[in-house]
Amino acid sequence: MSEGGAAPETPVLDVRGLGRRFGGLQALADVSFTVPRGRTLGIIGPNGAGKSTFINLVTGHIRPTSGRVLIDGRDMTGARPWSVARAGVARTFQIVKPFRGMTVRENVAVGILYGPEGTGIMSHALTAADEVLEQVGLGALADRPPGELTVADARRLELAKALALRPRLLLLDEVMAGLRHREIEPSLALISSLKKQGMTIIAVEHVMKAILAISDEVLVLHRGRVLTSGEPDAVLSDPRVIEAYLGHRYVKRQRAVSRDA
Amino acid sequence: MGTSSADVSTPARVATTTARPRAEARWRRPLPWAAGALVVLACLGLQTQLYTGQERTVTTIFMFVALAQAWNIIGGFTGYASFGQVVFFGLGGYTTAVVMYHWQWNFWLALVVSGLLAAAFGALIGLPLLRLKGHYFAIATLGVAEGMREVVTNLPDLTGGGAGISIPTVGPGAPTAYLGNDGFYILFLLLAALAVLSAGLVSRSKFGLALRAINQDEAAAGSMGINTTLAKVAAFTLSGFLVGLVGASYAFQQVTIFPERLFDVDITVLMVVMVVIGGSGTVLGPLLGAVALQYLSEYLRQHYTNLHTFILGAIIIVAVILLPQGVVNYAREAARTRDFSLLRNVRRYRL
Repeated sequence: MSEGGAAPETPVLDVRGLGRRFGGLQALADVSFTVPRGRTLGIIGPNGAGKSTFINLVTGHIRPTSGRVLIDGRDMTGARPWSVARAGVARTFQIVKPFRGMTVRENVAVGILYGPEGTGIMSHALTAADEVLEQVGLGALADRPPGELTVADARRLELAKALALRPRLLLLDEVMAGLRHREIEPSLALISSLKKQGMTIIAVEHVMKAILAISDEVLVLHRGRVLTSGEPDAVLSDPRVIEAYLGHRYVKRQRAVSRDA
Repeated sequence: MGTSSADVSTPARVATTTARPRAEARWRRPLPWAAGALVVLACLGLQTQLYTGQERTVTTIFMFVALAQAWNIIGGFTGYASFGQVVFFGLGGYTTAVVMYHWQWNFWLALVVSGLLAAAFGALIGLPLLRLKGHYFAIATLGVAEGMREVVTNLPDLTGGGAGISIPTVGPGAPTAYLGNDGFYILFLLLAALAVLSAGLVSRSKFGLALRAINQDEAAAGSMGINTTLAKVAAFTLSGFLVGLVGASYAFQQVTIFPERLFDVDITVLMVVMVVIGGSGTVLGPLLGAVALQYLSEYLRQHYTNLHTFILGAIIIVAVILLPQGVVNYAREAARTRDFSLLRNVRRYRL
């Protein structure tokens, strides 16, 4: 989402020709864009479009077979996940990955201890963890084991763990997935408040309402390639997007929503 | 906020302020340290009450406490179930025997060098081995231990080969006089204390949180900024160091050592079983597991000479079926959920 020279400073994320091949499958090919500081990019695409592969390439969980990843101008192509995390990139996982056998508070403390501003002092980390938990609304559950959390709270813990790194770039991999309608609102409010604080966010999402509400720009991935990108409304009304990607499913869902109303 | 979570959080938020100091205090509880020091003192007191046979039995218990706790660091906290930790035991033992036999090194120097060599070997093989997971890691570590036994057997000039090697312990040729039953009792007690102390420090530290995170999910641990390779290798190295120290002391105690005795798979299996029964990933579990199993084994050996391994095996099987997560983990969960049913526990951990 190049802004045509609107941002003079180095973009937080700059991917150039990024691609990954798994044997005979080109999971992602020639993806290039930049995300300026403080902006939110929504990435949409059907299953298998390469959304999660893209996140894994940026965070170092998968090494790219082509292209480059620059974080704040620093080349982090193929860097290991912990280096990327310490460079200020935090992520959530589509399938939540809480550390069982620790309390919710300790889960978050891990990020504070090992993040970019890594401290070695346990009591400081636990206090800071409580602050992050308050921020996401899990303050009351800090002493619980993560196994006891509801789906919505487990998603919030996932977000809290990412925020514990005090990231400059936050990658959200379907944080709304599996949430009920009324649980989406608080999540959206939380992400909006992060935006207001100036956080740079990339959100991969299936929930259209969420993408529209939080994204400054939307990028559509289709079969591992960038189909189009731009203003959310423009992208979603783009006939190519509706035909090639959203297809009849989106139309049907829209109809269902209006029927429910 | 959704209605369901709002219901929970409103009354619970009041409790947060009272809960917080308790949770933080968990990291600096003085009680376990005091209890540990008391137990060590009690063991020293106990020594004066034991006759020779009993003293040896208790010495062996100390040895297994140290071994189980060392295994716990890599197998329990980190979740990498090594079936080859005995390689460090053999390596430590043979290092001590060789340097004392060939070069008349002092035992204490040999002990430290053995530990360091075992640690260095752990770092060296840890780098490739810890890339493997689960069964593959277990098999590979087993292979390394078996391979090392062959290497030692096939270096007769250095190690005495299959015939073994004897450490000079008496007369002017002995670099360090034999410690005797009393001396080895104290040595193995100190090793057990060192291993428990190490596990205790790891458990409460930043490093320990990293190991537990790796145990749960390595991808997630990495994305939290944890250098997973470094942490795993460090845990493996620390475990190897402790096991190496125990092996070195065992070699000196036994005087004559053979490859079959030092690279004995049974020793690895015992470490694993003790940790699993006691509760892996806890500090108390491996300690209890080692004491209980070794005591039980000795008791059965004395009272049911012919059937002792059979009965011991049966008890282990029942224990693992009923308490798959180990005694300590079961007790903690049961105390928290107030559900003490063993049957429900079996169901909960069913695969």
